[in-house]
Amino acid sequence: MSRRLDGGEEAQAPASPGPGGKSGASPLEARGLGKRFRREWGLRDCTLELPRGAIVGLAGANAAGKSTLLALATGLLTPTEGTISVLGRDPLRDPAVLAEVGFVAQGAPLYRSFTVADSIEFARRTNTRSDSSIAAELLPSLGSRTKVGDLSAGDRARLALALALGKRPQLLLLDEPFAGLDPLAGREFLQLLMDGVAETSATVVIASHVIADIERVCDHIVLLAGGGVRLQGNVEALLDSHRLLMGPRRPLGSIRGVREIVRERHSGRQLTLLVTTDGPIVDPSWRVDHVALEELLLAYMAPERLPTPQPPERVPLRWHG
Amino acid sequence: MAWVTWRQHRSQLVAGLGLLVALAAAALGTDLPIRAAYHRDALSGCLPPSARSGCDIIVKHFQGEFASWAAAVRGLAVLPALAGLFVGAPLLARELEHGTHRFAWTQSVTRRRWLLSKTSLLAAATVAAASLASAIVMWWRSPFDTLEGRMGPSGFDIEGLVVPAYAFYALALGVLAGLLLRRTVAAMTLTLVVFAATRLVVLEFLRPRFLAPLHRTVLASDGGRQAGDWVLSDTLVDAGGRRITTGHEDLAVLHAQHAGIDPHTYLITLGWKRVISYQPGGRFWTFQLIEAGIFVTLAVAVIAVTLWCVRRNPT
Repeated sequence: MSRRLDGGEEAQAPASPGPGGKSGASPLEARGLGKRFRREWGLRDCTLELPRGAIVGLAGANAAGKSTLLALATGLLTPTEGTISVLGRDPLRDPAVLAEVGFVAQGAPLYRSFTVADSIEFARRTNTRSDSSIAAELLPSLGSRTKVGDLSAGDRARLALALALGKRPQLLLLDEPFAGLDPLAGREFLQLLMDGVAETSATVVIASHVIADIERVCDHIVLLAGGGVRLQGNVEALLDSHRLLMGPRRPLGSIRGVREIVRERHSGRQLTLLVTTDGPIVDPSWRVDHVALEELLLAYMAPERLPTPQPPERVPLRWHG
Repeated sequence: MAWVTWRQHRSQLVAGLGLLVALAAAALGTDLPIRAAYHRDALSGCLPPSARSGCDIIVKHFQGEFASWAAAVRGLAVLPALAGLFVGAPLLARELEHGTHRFAWTQSVTRRRWLLSKTSLLAAATVAAASLASAIVMWWRSPFDTLEGRMGPSGFDIEGLVVPAYAFYALALGVLAGLLLRRTVAAMTLTLVVFAATRLVVLEFLRPRFLAPLHRTVLASDGGRQAGDWVLSDTLVDAGGRRITTGHEDLAVLHAQHAGIDPHTYLITLGWKRVISYQPGGRFWTFQLIEAGIFVTLAVAVIAVTLWCVRRNPT
């Protein structure tokens, strides 16, 4: 019976909107999406559309709404407002879409009392499509009779990822996959992810508050801050459209080629601007630099404009830490 | 899902089987002396239609001899609650507590189906175990049933169809409590409280009224209650049918003793009678059906609410 579980009424629900998640539909699309917990909003006014086949970094500080967004995408939470669609289908009304979605929640939850082999069997029994070859490749290093509770954090994360990849998902959602992993385990995890994705050409969403993790793999960025989407787009395009300007401090007028100033920072007599451009900047009084992804994201995560700091002579010099 | 249910709940299943084996062994071990005493005292000759003289004493002696055992068996009324505490309550609470629902509910099996499969499989196992336990208890209690009947709560609550129905209801309650409270211990507590409250309400307020009780009027001096009936009330009334308070009765007895008359005779000369309101033992299976029906209906309703909650507002 277990192999046919998905074939129930929900799978064939005629109400499923859109083209059944095959072509055309965005792997993940949200319109005005919001989720309020008891008092505060976990996510608000979130509108985004992910391109197919991208590896998306879902960035943001802690409690920026990353986990909330992923929980909404997997139907674990109900939206308070707005809509979310996964592969063109509503994950709550049409939960059969989850057969196409791989999800590794934060901390890679698995049943601790199960052995590794049990966990693989669980995935096989609860999925329409379950390719255990990916997980089976891990078996020699994990040991099939080892209890999941006895695995290291890195091994558990890899097992969880292997099970998610085994569904041959069109969309793979990973919530803070690198949290709690040492650098070596993180690299092994990434290796497994890249191998698996290369085969399936799935769209991958990696939620992380560590920008370096995102920078390593992602070609698309969604930045959540203050419960909403602050920035999204292709990494190259974003880096291309932003410039760092450095020059002597001066009153700011409009600069040719600059569309918008994202952030200004004063240090002594030096003024540093992060700007979006709409043409080449030719003013020779500015030194124009490319911006690194980390700096770009940090700028958008921080408040709009940093206040002018105190004159340097009045700030006591002090070691940090 | 059968494999999943088995893998996740096999320890509970083994514990349940162990409990049943222990119950059967205890029943076998204690039954021998009871049956021996039953035959030794020729108690079958004391059954209601053909009550020999002296039967009162023999039956009392028999009941006194095994009173503590019968009381222990009455304690088995808590058994169905265990299904709610140890199978129902952890079903969702443990998943939510450990966050494993994020793993289990994001596979291809929809969580409604996941919950329905698990609940129904576990309910089937629970009902089977409870039926077996009920059969064991019925067999063990048969000497007591023939003597004192099984219509009263001490027999009714641990025999027949109601036992699996209670267990099913307790299980359903546990699952819902686990979903609402998300903590195993809290869910177990709530399950126990609600289950006990429901049982109490049904026992005190509904069961006496499943069918209209019968009334029997006997002489005030008549002490004999008919075995097998569930006596709901036993009141003294005067010739006009007005109820006589205990205080009034004591006064009359005292008055008779002072006058040197036998109090019983005195009460009869006053024209006082006792009206006994009761449910006859012959209604046992009807009542079992009604009460089991009530608990099964409640269980199904609770499961429906759980399914609705888990779909609408999952976490």
